[in-house]
Amino acid sequence: MKTPRNILFTIIFFSFLNVYGQKDTSIVLVTIKAEKIAITDFIKLLEKQSGYYFYYDSRQLDTLKVTVNSVSQPFLSVLNQAFANTSFFYEIDNENHVFISKERKPNLKLADNFFTGPEAKKNNAKTEYEVTYEVADNPEDVNIKTTEKAILENKLYEVGERTSTNKQSTATIAGYVSDAKTGEPIAGASVFITKTGLGATTDQYGYFSLSLPKGKHILNIQSLGMNDTRRQVLIHGNGKLDIELVSKVMTLKNITISAQKVNNIKGTQMSVQKIDIKTIKQVPVVFGEADLLRVVTTLPGVKTVGEASTGLNVRGGAADQNLILFNEATIYNPSHFFGMFSALNPEVVKDVELFKSSVPVRYGGRLSSVLNINSREGNKKKMAGSAGVGLLTSRLELEGPLVKEKSSFIIAGRTTYANWLLNLLPDQYKNSQASFYDLNLNISHEINKKNTIYITGYMSSDRFNLNSDTLFGYGNKNISVKWKHIFNNKLNNVTAGGYDSYEYYTSSNYLPTNGYKLNFAINQTYFRTHFNYYLNNKHSFDFGLNSLYYRLNPGSYQPFGEESLVNPEVIAPEQALESSLYISDKYKFNSFSVDAGMRYSIFNYLGPQNINRYAPGLPVTETNNIGSDKFGNGDFIKTYGGPEIRLSLVYLFNDSFSIKAAFNTQRQYIHSISNTAAMSPTDIWKLSDPNIKPQYGNQFSLGLYKNFASNTIETSIEAYYKNINNYLDYKSGAKLVMNPNLETDVLGTKGKAYGVELLIKKTAGKLNGWISYTWSRILLKVDDPIAGEMINDGNYYPANYDKPHDVTLISNYRFNHRFSVSFNSTYSTGRPITLPIGVFYYAGGLRTLYTNRNAYRIPDYFRSDIALSIEGNHKVHQKFHTSWTFGVFNLTGRKNPYSVYYVSENGAINGYKLSIFGSAIPYANFNIKF
Amino acid sequence: MKKLSIYLLLLLLLAGCKENYNSPFVSPNTGFLVVEGSVSSGQGKTTIKISRTQKLENQLQSIKYEKGALVKVEGNDNSSYNLTESSEGNYTASNLNLNSTVQYRLRIKTASGKEYLSDFADVQTSPPIDSITWKLENGGLQLYLTTNNQLNNTHYYQWDYTETWEIKSQFASMLKFQGFKDRFNRDSFSVAYRDSVNYGIDSSIYRCWQSNTSNELLIGSSAKLERDFIYMPIAFISGGSEKLSILYSINIKQYGLSKEGYEFLEKLKKNTEQLGSIFDAQPGELKGNIHCVSDPSEPVIGYVNICNFTEKRIFISAQNVGGWNFYPITCSFFSLSNVSDTIIKKMAGVTPTYPSTYVTPPTFPPKISSFDVASSECVDCTVRGSNIKPFFWP
Repeated sequence: MKTPRNILFTIIFFSFLNVYGQKDTSIVLVTIKAEKIAITDFIKLLEKQSGYYFYYDSRQLDTLKVTVNSVSQPFLSVLNQAFANTSFFYEIDNENHVFISKERKPNLKLADNFFTGPEAKKNNAKTEYEVTYEVADNPEDVNIKTTEKAILENKLYEVGERTSTNKQSTATIAGYVSDAKTGEPIAGASVFITKTGLGATTDQYGYFSLSLPKGKHILNIQSLGMNDTRRQVLIHGNGKLDIELVSKVMTLKNITISAQKVNNIKGTQMSVQKIDIKTIKQVPVVFGEADLLRVVTTLPGVKTVGEASTGLNVRGGAADQNLILFNEATIYNPSHFFGMFSALNPEVVKDVELFKSSVPVRYGGRLSSVLNINSREGNKKKMAGSAGVGLLTSRLELEGPLVKEKSSFIIAGRTTYANWLLNLLPDQYKNSQASFYDLNLNISHEINKKNTIYITGYMSSDRFNLNSDTLFGYGNKNISVKWKHIFNNKLNNVTAGGYDSYEYYTSSNYLPTNGYKLNFAINQTYFRTHFNYYLNNKHSFDFGLNSLYYRLNPGSYQPFGEESLVNPEVIAPEQALESSLYISDKYKFNSFSVDAGMRYSIFNYLGPQNINRYAPGLPVTETNNIGSDKFGNGDFIKTYGGPEIRLSLVYLFNDSFSIKAAFNTQRQYIHSISNTAAMSPTDIWKLSDPNIKPQYGNQFSLGLYKNFASNTIETSIEAYYKNINNYLDYKSGAKLVMNPNLETDVLGTKGKAYGVELLIKKTAGKLNGWISYTWSRILLKVDDPIAGEMINDGNYYPANYDKPHDVTLISNYRFNHRFSVSFNSTYSTGRPITLPIGVFYYAGGLRTLYTNRNAYRIPDYFRSDIALSIEGNHKVHQKFHTSWTFGVFNLTGRKNPYSVYYVSENGAINGYKLSIFGSAIPYANFNIKF
Repeated sequence: MKKLSIYLLLLLLLAGCKENYNSPFVSPNTGFLVVEGSVSSGQGKTTIKISRTQKLENQLQSIKYEKGALVKVEGNDNSSYNLTESSEGNYTASNLNLNSTVQYRLRIKTASGKEYLSDFADVQTSPPIDSITWKLENGGLQLYLTTNNQLNNTHYYQWDYTETWEIKSQFASMLKFQGFKDRFNRDSFSVAYRDSVNYGIDSSIYRCWQSNTSNELLIGSSAKLERDFIYMPIAFISGGSEKLSILYSINIKQYGLSKEGYEFLEKLKKNTEQLGSIFDAQPGELKGNIHCVSDPSEPVIGYVNICNFTEKRIFISAQNVGGWNFYPITCSFFSLSNVSDTIIKKMAGVTPTYPSTYVTPPTFPPKISSFDVASSECVDCTVRGSNIKPFFWP
């Protein structure tokens, strides 16, 4: 709005504004002493001091010079003084806009039929430069004195009581930043003052808190995907300021929140990647199902073993070393269809944050990373929804207010009709069925300005019916309740509680006498409370406690079918309590900031349980089992614990260049054990017990960050070194399912991972995306003679997901608001694989001989995908908005090997290379929003 | 889980694909000792096969058998039984009649003087096989084995089988090629009657038997069941197969295993047969119960099991199955004149069947001027099988 100082435009613009009482003209005092200065310069001075905004035709004004001499005079009298004896007239509207015109007074009245005209409604979208602000006298008492709706950036907002007796020179303002259209909070928005560099970013609820010197400031508010805006504030004391932002692209409901523009430079957190749902939806994926986890795997430092796996390997971590949180709920298996698609509905996801190195102190319990998935809140203003049809799934999503402006809901579901795929299978599989679905429900309710409640429910289910005699299924169930309470502008709290569960089952009566049903389940109940204390601009604290109660049913094997002779067998349930207390202090002085945190976690393995004892100093094998100890209900069988350090440092060379360093330690008490290359849905999870020690690890990282072109191009280089201890690897030929002595089949493994990650990211403009290069290694080692087995003679060997070189390009080019093209391309070294080194004859056929684990590699991986998105027209008033996505996955049709293996068939050995999606796969997706 | 894995593999193949792969890597020399076989504790014949591992890329070369080793079975009661090398790398003994209360092991001394010992193992017993049954399913015939061990003491089993079936030539033959020297002493050919009793057909090349042994590891366990009961698929005959064109027979041998022996074979099976789908376990090292005495870290492949075995045979005739729809390979015949040069040109891979024309005026015995030939597989069943009737054949 700054440049086109054109009266016609401004008048039209103005005419859609709501009308409120005019009251501020007498308050603003200005001091200007100038002789014969150009009127344009004078206006600039005036704008700066008053907060008023001027509209004029510069061609009319360029010759005019004025002389003003005023010290702390009311704005109006200065204006009168300046325009006295000129042919110019001015008029001020109630929104602090000053309109200047030659010869005659501007007429700000509208034609009578203006609002009833067809255009009025349509352009209402533009009236959303709204601000609500409330005034509170002191932080301890946030009584809402006045709630005033005012409009536009140039109004001066007064925060705090003018008569405040508080003698401190600074005051704290706090409030929410939200989307003007939907009322949804905007996380990660920057609220800052350009001059001093003071600033804050909003948390996931859109809340910010900022200490400023008393007096007048211009607050800049920036958030990617939203129009930048500013607020002029006059701070008398502590108070509240809520800000609404308007999204940049006039689509109806696309959420376009992203990493704050300069946060990558200034934030103390290292190696944090945030992707918004818009980016996720742009990236072409197989069958066109927008897939959050697939996009996460394109980030530097994140790998996966192959296409059929959504298991993430972050900086050399195993797939079970990631904490996947969906609105506080832990998702144990975030995938459908055995890992082909992620089980999180993109329609309810707002954004995804991946912490690879400096994990915030509030999170813990996993060694490698935290993947924090935030869901959207429903539209607080009106009912809306969307539906989509793809090759494999259909989606429906509905949202709207429960109580207008106060509470909202969002409910979404996806289901598959993948059965058509199965009909393409050979005859003997014709009776098979596959199905999956997922459901989401989010409710948020603002009880009052200080209390908000969020309820999240999530459920996913996969079922596979094979030949009507074998059934396989798995699913997640999660429910969480969160309560955000603001004590005052400096202290707020989020308390959450909930229940997570993951289970899988398989049943078969293919051989009626062996008919069985196998069940496995993880259940956990948690309580978390987190406080954020904002002392001042330099100092803020996070502290809180987490408590998590696990109950695992490691396996139950039951007869299935009447003829079954199966002996029922149940492995004793495991239970444990994991608790942690943490505190971190963020301290800033000048160009240097530090975030130092400490987390102390304690793990209690609880009875009832029988614990095997093994002869000391001998390998843990069944033959060395020397008995067992019985523990009663609730007994503390074993306690592990220790401090975890989270330290990060930033030194800011300037606003666009910084260096960061971090040191992190982590502990993990629950492990998934897998002897398959990909993370499989039937992998079992095991709690640490007296025979299985917790995993622990630490990571040093160092990075340089530099932004170019007004922070629209971010570049970074990061290096890390990581130690992993007690990672659980399996013994050759281990039996993991229904094994009551699991400790005899696993090996405590050491690991070291190191690497360098380069990232260039363009965040704005028609062309955006990123290109990343990672060089990394992850090496494991089993060299403890009492482990019972040494893998590769106790030497380091690469893990399954060790892919040293990895280059990824993700890009999107927007031709206009309706057409955009996305292209991505990735290259990586082939993953390690165990290949036979010889053959021998046994049991009537040739068989393969294996020695060293992961001594070879499959051929390198290369893939490119392209997608074209076509949005329907952007008329705001129409009922339905449609969009199409067309794409081709694996454009070059390269047959990337997923695995290479040798198998004995009819007595001979045959080598095969298996490629998943080994040809170019076109897809189409249709979406409708209402 | 195996079925599930195969299924997933198929599913992925829809979008993906499976291609042959030959490792570009050169295998190291291994030459590890491979010991296979069960020491038969009862009347049956004990066969221990000893061979060496080879490079992966040499898999098409013949098996490297270990010749000239000294092999004996030793009991922990100091009893000892020698095995003799009956054929290359096959060491056998009969009627060992071991004592089931004694533990036994195998001692191998190779020709190069290295000594190998297996761990002492208990004598396992195998109960009799209850029945072998079959069902028509998945477009073929599936054979199932049932064992109901009343003694409830075996739980771990291995099987192998030999299947035998009768085959018939498509064309009978009364003629054969006969070589002679012509007057210039050149090798020449003509056809002659086989003369199986006055120009009849030669039934010895008309009816034959083919046989095949199992080449898959067949193992099973009842450890998870409430009693020692086994019902499992053993062999599959794909639809329309010649095996069931006339009469088919299968003989299954059942071995009792120790738990460790079973686990070894299970790992071997996973390593070598159950691979290729996304969620199959990755292959790994295999450790048996045989060790090199002088170098315990030397890899030795194999698990020596001490047990008696039981066996059972059944017959299935084509009439019993019904609607088997066996279609023989297409055979055609053509005529040749009984001239040496013509015969020499065309005789490779064909066998004469019947005379088609005779020399005129007729002579006695009639002289053949032309005759029919067909591809040897269509005429001479000994090309495909053996014409010696197995002793058990009805």
